[in-house]
Amino acid sequence: MHGGHSFDVTAPAWLEVLDETLDACRSHGREDLVQRLRRRRDRPPGVTRIAVLGFPKQGKGYLVNAVLNAPVCSVGDAATPAVPVEIGFSAQPTATLVGRADERVPVPVERLTGELGARPPGSLRRVEVGVPRELLSAGLVLVDTPAIGDPRSPRTAAALDVLADADAVVLVSDATTPLGEAEVALAHHVRTWCPHVVVALTKIDVCPSWRAVAERDRALLSNAGIDSPVLPVSATVRMAAAKASDQDLNSRSGFPPLLAWIAEQAARPPEHTSAVLAALSVRAAAAELVETLRARAELAGQDAGVDQTTLLHRAQRKADELRKRNTRWQNLLADEIADLQSDAEYDLRERTRKIVETIDETFDKGDPVKVWDEFGPWLDKTLAEAVETNYNFTADRAEWIAQAVAAAFGAQYDLHDLRLGESGAELIADVRQPRIEGFKIGQKLFTGLRGSYGGVLMFGLVTSLAGLPLINPVSLGAGAAFAAKTISDEGGMRLQRRQAVAKMTAQRHVDDVFLRFSKECRDAIRGVQRKLRDHFTALAEELADQLARERETIIAGSAERERRMVKLRREIERLAGLHQRAGELGVLAGRAPRELPA
Amino acid sequence: MTEDVRGLLAEACALYRDSPRAAASLHEALNHLDEPLRVGITGAAGTGKSTLAAALGETRSLRDLALVDDPAASVLTDATVRLLRHLEPDELASAHPAARSAFARQTAVDTVLVLARADETGAGRIDALLTAKQLARRAWREDPLCSGAQGVIAVAAQLAYGARAFTDDEFELLAAFAAVPREELERYLLSVDAFTDPAFPGPVSVDTRRSLVSRFGLFGVKLALTLIRTGSDSRVKLSTELVRRSGLGELRDTVAGCFAARAEALKARTAVVRLETVLQNEPRPGSDRLETRVERFAATAHDFTELRLIADIRGGRTALSGEPADEAARLLGAQGTTPEERLGLDFETDPREVYAAGADAVLRWRHEAERQDRPPAERAAAHVVVRSAEGVLALFA
Repeated sequence: MHGGHSFDVTAPAWLEVLDETLDACRSHGREDLVQRLRRRRDRPPGVTRIAVLGFPKQGKGYLVNAVLNAPVCSVGDAATPAVPVEIGFSAQPTATLVGRADERVPVPVERLTGELGARPPGSLRRVEVGVPRELLSAGLVLVDTPAIGDPRSPRTAAALDVLADADAVVLVSDATTPLGEAEVALAHHVRTWCPHVVVALTKIDVCPSWRAVAERDRALLSNAGIDSPVLPVSATVRMAAAKASDQDLNSRSGFPPLLAWIAEQAARPPEHTSAVLAALSVRAAAAELVETLRARAELAGQDAGVDQTTLLHRAQRKADELRKRNTRWQNLLADEIADLQSDAEYDLRERTRKIVETIDETFDKGDPVKVWDEFGPWLDKTLAEAVETNYNFTADRAEWIAQAVAAAFGAQYDLHDLRLGESGAELIADVRQPRIEGFKIGQKLFTGLRGSYGGVLMFGLVTSLAGLPLINPVSLGAGAAFAAKTISDEGGMRLQRRQAVAKMTAQRHVDDVFLRFSKECRDAIRGVQRKLRDHFTALAEELADQLARERETIIAGSAERERRMVKLRREIERLAGLHQRAGELGVLAGRAPRELPA
Repeated sequence: MTEDVRGLLAEACALYRDSPRAAASLHEALNHLDEPLRVGITGAAGTGKSTLAAALGETRSLRDLALVDDPAASVLTDATVRLLRHLEPDELASAHPAARSAFARQTAVDTVLVLARADETGAGRIDALLTAKQLARRAWREDPLCSGAQGVIAVAAQLAYGARAFTDDEFELLAAFAAVPREELERYLLSVDAFTDPAFPGPVSVDTRRSLVSRFGLFGVKLALTLIRTGSDSRVKLSTELVRRSGLGELRDTVAGCFAARAEALKARTAVVRLETVLQNEPRPGSDRLETRVERFAATAHDFTELRLIADIRGGRTALSGEPADEAARLLGAQGTTPEERLGLDFETDPREVYAAGADAVLRWRHEAERQDRPPAERAAAHVVVRSAEGVLALFA
């Protein structure tokens, strides 16, 4: 739209400034800025990328679908993808998943949502969709981004990453509420990296007060110094218009101005766009770098007025404090671990003692032959439960100790490393069935016969004095009584023997389990102690090293510090120069970027 | 329970009488024990707190509690209805209350989450309320961030508020609109602008239509028209149906069952949390004795255990389901805390019969609690139910 003669001159100029800024970013270790600038430099000509950005549930998907008049994006309460979706032109509808390692997997368009859900999160880089729409035929690509949310989430990172390639941005916010603080901040960030931004005010069909909200949004944006138009739109009305082919309804949906704006982005001369984008990116990157450098310079400046002795004193104090802290946490750790050892062992002993008591009670009364089938599984389960509870108790206490030690050290500790392994309760061998047998019929018969012999003989002899034969009803009756008595005596004796055997077997089993698991528990606790000790010792050593280095710089004297300050200041000046030059380039390209503060 | 807490607080007041700040905050808590239960309605700007407060405030079953719209941080509230826009993870994380103390964490039974403006779910389609209800249900079942809540309920507050105070004129108006053929009306129901367009068929003025849409929302108007066409042909019928669908009833029942019915326990809890904060901020000789008593109180207060378990059962976080789950929730006092309500009997039932039913419940649930083939968590839950049922029997002793 402006004089074409300047392009040949500006093109190499912006490239040079961009490369210089790239070097500066690299030398200050800002790899993220380097990536962004490099993508700006290698931007393919002839393609205009428009990103659609916004917070969750603002109607991004509906907006994109309404722009294209096609159900491309998943909408509603279905899970929206965690990766950007690039929508470009193709004669036939296509969909391709692009993985982390740039592998491309074509999928049928209608199965796209299902395929996306089936992939593990983090395995995809982006999704490319082709639709036969005239709007896109001039090399326009719409990028639907994951919702912006938690600043630390990978979704947000993926959404903001799209900015590095975007030529223009549609910011989506719904008309139910005016722009929030976070949304204005997002608009500001977007505007620093991207020259053309429009705010689409969605859902105006359901909000009676959308006109007031639009006014409020315009005021908020201009107060924040963001020169973006606000376009109220309704996807619902637009889709109804498309269904009924109703031009009037279409114009009421608010979409024609948005489509015109999108077409305008695509119609910009590519060389011009490249120059403006480069200028803007250089300014944004330089501003971010200067910000960090200035913070560093300020930190160094604080020490400038203080003499060497005071600084040394200060370092000495820090070292003393570290030493005190070291003793404190070491004592705490040793004490707590010793306590835990004895508590855990006592707990397990107490639990097993209770079990042994129950065993005694059971076999004082019960007959092992009858109850063992029920008793064996009970014993196994109770033992497993006791071990499990004891183990959980130990694990909880260990976590608590880690936190207490971390607090004494004045640091955070990530508890994930501390997870104890499985308790191993299910590895306990089942209790062995002791060799017990009931009083069988044959044995009873034999014992009975043996007992009856004495009875028959005794009473037979007595009654024979009365002239009766040796075998008479009386002596037979006495024999039967004697037999019954012997059988019951023998049965009682055998029962006692069985009870003793069962008791012993069960108690020995409990003892075995106790021995094994008290050892395992002790080992686990030792492991925790070792882990915590190593972690915090390493941390303490690192701190000590840092203090030693600080001391060295103090001794090296103020000259060194002075030299570093000068270097920092020179860097800041160089970046300010780059910033300035980028501004001039922007003006040359026909657009005056706003002056950045300071 | 209240008397215990009163004694505890009185003792604490005596201990802290020389510290004006602590004494003032303890006295406030002590006085609050005699006031009605205070339920705060909180949420971000634009979630419709005032509308919901107004809609809930007119409910007869919640007469005995004080609803506080967006309470200041200094106001003592016993329970919270928290309004959320979308149930997004960020939103839920910020709604997760940062428990102030161990006791507050153990007994965190004071929050109900509300998916506010449920009528805007799914671009305001006619099934929006159903979708919203499903979303809320799923979040409660599956989202770990919802696990501490007594309920996650989708409510269309504007619709509910409008429908409760339905006038005959408004009904006549809507009925007249519903009489217009659907195809003719459809394009005027697309957006608020179209609805208030001068070209709208019929003699109704633009201002009347505008007031209608601002009272019910566009979704509300559309839903009302659909309902009139499908048979809700009187004002009362339509009003009842709209309130039912808005989710207000579910919220009301939850607030009544989990908060109003437990007013004493929740107020005692507020007082104890306040006491614990004071003990934490200003430890002094003698305060450790009070701390022990607070701990004992926390361990013995069965109401909070019951509320937690009710929330877990209803949120589908236990292995119970179907008939046993219903019975467990009822015994725990989800539908009221009198013996008859817990046992699901009529109020006129012979006390002997009530006792017999209680004894039967104790036996059955004790059997569940002792079953060796059940996982420990399930048995622990059954133990809680047993304890509740035994509490019922204890009233007859």
